[in-house]
Amino acid sequence: MRLLLVEDHVPLADELTASLTRQGYAVDWLADGRDAAYQGASEPYDLIILDLGLPGKPGLEVLQEWRSGGLATPVLVLTARGSWAERIEGLKAGADDYLTKPFHPEELTLRIQALLRRAHGLANQPQLEAAGLQLDESRQCVTSGGEAIDLTAAEFRLLRYFMLHPGQILSKSHLADHLYDGETERDSNVIEVHVNRLRGKLGRNVIETRRGQGYRFTGDQG
Amino acid sequence: MRSIQRRLGIGLAATLLLVGLALAQASLWVFDHGLRVYLEEGLRDEAHGLLAALVRGPSGLQLDERRLDPSFQRQFSGHYFRIDFADERTWRSRSLWDRELLKPDVMGMQAELGDGPQGQLLLIYRADYRRYGENLSISVAQDYQPILQSFRRMQWVGLGLGGAALLLILIAQRYTVRRALRPLEQVRQQIAQLQQGRRSDLDAEVPEELVPLVAQINHLLAHTEDTLKRSRNALGNLGHALKTPLAVLISLAGRDELAAHPALRASMREQLEQIEQRLSRELGRARLAGEVLPGARFDCAQELPGLFATLAMIHDRGLSLDWQAPPGLVLPRDREDLLELLGNLLDNACKWADQRVQLTVEESAEGYRLCVDDDGPGIDAERREAVLGRGTRLDEQVAGHGLGLGIVRDIIEAWQGHIALQDSPLGGLRVVVSLPRR
Repeated sequence: MRLLLVEDHVPLADELTASLTRQGYAVDWLADGRDAAYQGASEPYDLIILDLGLPGKPGLEVLQEWRSGGLATPVLVLTARGSWAERIEGLKAGADDYLTKPFHPEELTLRIQALLRRAHGLANQPQLEAAGLQLDESRQCVTSGGEAIDLTAAEFRLLRYFMLHPGQILSKSHLADHLYDGETERDSNVIEVHVNRLRGKLGRNVIETRRGQGYRFTGDQG
Repeated sequence: MRSIQRRLGIGLAATLLLVGLALAQASLWVFDHGLRVYLEEGLRDEAHGLLAALVRGPSGLQLDERRLDPSFQRQFSGHYFRIDFADERTWRSRSLWDRELLKPDVMGMQAELGDGPQGQLLLIYRADYRRYGENLSISVAQDYQPILQSFRRMQWVGLGLGGAALLLILIAQRYTVRRALRPLEQVRQQIAQLQQGRRSDLDAEVPEELVPLVAQINHLLAHTEDTLKRSRNALGNLGHALKTPLAVLISLAGRDELAAHPALRASMREQLEQIEQRLSRELGRARLAGEVLPGARFDCAQELPGLFATLAMIHDRGLSLDWQAPPGLVLPRDREDLLELLGNLLDNACKWADQRVQLTVEESAEGYRLCVDDDGPGIDAERREAVLGRGTRLDEQVAGHGLGLGIVRDIIEAWQGHIALQDSPLGGLRVVVSLPRR
């Protein structure tokens, strides 16, 4: 999962980046509204966390610009302006959720997880479930047939992405785009290695290879 | 406060009445005086005539009947005389018949009217002469009653005419004043509409006398609105400046490094939470417009869909959210305040509701009634008082619950409204907010 964090307060951005990275998200950070308006629309993010009080261009304008340009990426608005009139304004501009500062990091985590599930048509699940697997996002482990299996950080990130896109064919470059932030060196062999390790832990059929196309997550049923 | 119209009417009526009565009475008096002076001439001539009719007869002085005016002979004709001689002899005119005409004490025209026969009132003139060596005094009288009667008639006619004129003038004045005051009446109506939230400023097309007033009111309105907007913006900036570092601190308090010092972490979190609550409450309270803006309006059909869409997004668990309001209902309250009030109440209801949350807005003669219903567990009747009491949190399990109710209370207090908790027909809690009209 690759997130864009748009926040001009550096200490908060540092905190959030660190915390989100620990949770297995690839995070790109921007502080200026104009940069965000461009990069948010051009890079394939899975979710955007947007502060409203930005230098360069107000967050609401950035959001409106994205939505009028057809960007469908879920946007979580993060703001100190918490009155209901402002929340409604944010929603009208195209926000998918609204979190007011100050907030607990756990609250943000839960909102991001819920928003991602909702964006992939898996609403109203306390845990990410797909094709017979249950992913515990806080403990970063997976349950298959009642058996808990520990995952490394890289395996967790890959499996979460697969589980949010069950049955879809995902190419290596697509996976690399969504699993690494803009600064990381991308090596498609690394993905191959992690896919093989997941197969080793969960069974060969969990992820099938489509030659020349990419991978397809089928889960236990596959 | 009496109206200008009534005050002008009463003032004019009183002045006209006073002047009219004084004028009528004075002209009557002048006429009466002139008439008496004129009649005095006639009486003097009659006295002279009587003197001339005194002739020396065989038995001393006697009146020559032929030279007397016939009206002195006719009974109670209204013309009378008496002649008093120095030796107490008295002659009276035949017209007096059996009545007496008293001899006046002084010479000349008498100031008082004397009593005559048959209720007549007499003008009496007395003149003293010396004839044929004898001192005599001739008193002549004329009935003044018919003239007094015609005076009285004239008074009545004058009173009637004057009254009619007064009525006519008052009606004409009322019409003129109403026409002249029409712009004021328009301004008054517009101010009433302003209070009800049906317009946001006064019409500037008014007579020049009212231009400064209307311009000043419009200026004040714009100024108040501008000030409110700026202060809200400044509060937003302040909140942003304080809450962002607070978010960092809260995040820092959750760091793994602090896991070894649970007491320290708990204490930090508690203090941060207190700051957060206090900050939110006070900033929220400072944002309230309350009764400042008379032009405030909240169009239900325009605002409620956005609010409910936001609620549905926040409480994304398949709740059925409904609102009902009479079509076209506009509440004369500040938009942001009312959104804050409803947002918090509905947010609470959504946290507790099983499946359904309903908002009903009603308008009555006394004001407006907002009902927020949910089908959740509700609150026991004996606990409701405590929940509404200051400083109590509605629930400790659901975050922000008490906080939301605090700002709700602030808003309702600023509007002099009333909040009550009841049983909901949906099975849960009903929060009823009554707002007075303005």
